[in-house]
Amino acid sequence: MRRTFTRPEKHTVLYTQVMREIEKVGINSIVIVLVISIFVGAVITIQTNYNIENPLLPRYLIGVTVRDSLLLEFSSTMVALLLAGKVGSSIASELGMMRVTEQIDALEVMGVNPASLLILPKIIAAMFFFPILCLLSIGMGLLGGYLTCLLADVIPPSDYIYGIQYAFYPHYITYAMTKTVVYALIITSVSSFLGYYVEGGAVEVGKSSTRAVVHSCVLIILANLVLTETLLQ
Amino acid sequence: MIEVKHIFKKYEDTYVLNDVSAQFEQGKCNLIIGRSGSGKTVLLKSIVGLIDLDEGEIWYGNHLFSHMESRARQEIRQEMGMLFQGGALFDSLSVEENVMFPLNMLTGQSFREKLERVNFCLDRVRVSHSNRLYPSELSGGMRKRVAIARAIVLNPKYLFCDEPNSGLDPETGMVIDRLIKELTDEFQMTTIVNTHDMNSVLEIGDKVVYIHDGCKCWEGTREEVLHTDNKDLNNFVFATRLAKQIKG
Repeated sequence: MRRTFTRPEKHTVLYTQVMREIEKVGINSIVIVLVISIFVGAVITIQTNYNIENPLLPRYLIGVTVRDSLLLEFSSTMVALLLAGKVGSSIASELGMMRVTEQIDALEVMGVNPASLLILPKIIAAMFFFPILCLLSIGMGLLGGYLTCLLADVIPPSDYIYGIQYAFYPHYITYAMTKTVVYALIITSVSSFLGYYVEGGAVEVGKSSTRAVVHSCVLIILANLVLTETLLQ
Repeated sequence: MIEVKHIFKKYEDTYVLNDVSAQFEQGKCNLIIGRSGSGKTVLLKSIVGLIDLDEGEIWYGNHLFSHMESRARQEIRQEMGMLFQGGALFDSLSVEENVMFPLNMLTGQSFREKLERVNFCLDRVRVSHSNRLYPSELSGGMRKRVAIARAIVLNPKYLFCDEPNSGLDPETGMVIDRLIKELTDEFQMTTIVNTHDMNSVLEIGDKVVYIHDGCKCWEGTREEVLHTDNKDLNNFVFATRLAKQIKG
């Protein structure tokens, strides 16, 4: 860990690596995040409508529920679990293969700090880009709900729009962003650690990739509990 | 010159290196030979600092490398080039980018200077006009040559080769061996080659160190290898029936 956060050999190389990682861990995840978010927004809208049977409850509560579900849980925690699977396994297997094919040893012998060169850019890229993915997910989820109202005639779209603006706490955004940044750190550091220290061959690389996903998911759930308790008091 | 003094390395209860001492001279191809599992690779990786020793010293000239802190070690490492068994080229980089990588990381040269140096090194190992190819598009022999080009791009004082001709046919293996010898003579590097290939021993072994079960059993020149009365070494060198018949 200490070697990861030591001063990089060259800042230009770090910048290039960060840009490359933003593309790998962030930009390449946009489509899957958007597709899942739009459908989840739609499903939450339909389910909430189905469950609100009391005619005294205003229909705009569906909009409130969709917004708060996305902000408080789905777009941060559920998207992080999705990214743990996609990005975490990819990081662990990439570093694992580099380890077993001696590419990491080659860097070490060259006098380059491999941890700083390979892991730090991944952490920076994820901590920078995951919050953007979270915001995109919130926006897409809300759009999914709106389209459902529009096309499936669940509630009038104007009620939905009123609902998603009703009693909005900007602190929820801070809460979601804080959680996402912590999850980004968990996913990248756990996966990098498990990939970086692989010993053996292809089987061990596969196992490390699986372990990276499992460990990241468990830690995300634990962090979710701690952060919710801390930030929503 | 590189010198190892009384080095020990143990994994669990087994000594993989047991009181090994040797000197590896400048301008010569120093070969470490021995059977598979004898401790050659552990010795080579200990010399470059990839494996920490339990006891003993490794000297690079006047520098006690084995006891240095990592930042001081990095300075010496910038004078090393290493050819790994599988080449260890970076998959995501092209041939040109692979060879340029140490220059990008460790020098402040302009792109033009770096490109000139890369082309010189690729030319030197006879892999010109392959700059845009990726490692997956190269044959085994070409991959080793590109790895050699990357190893020499910083003009290293020390060159390490771990089984340079493993996985290659004898003819291509010999080409790689001769290339290593040529480069050693040309740049007066201290070269250490890890091998169990007798063709390499006879072709380029200026000095040969024989490792058996983690101990240094013998050292000498390639001519002396053929006439030694060391039983273990003879069993290793003349392992085939044909070789035994020739030995008489």
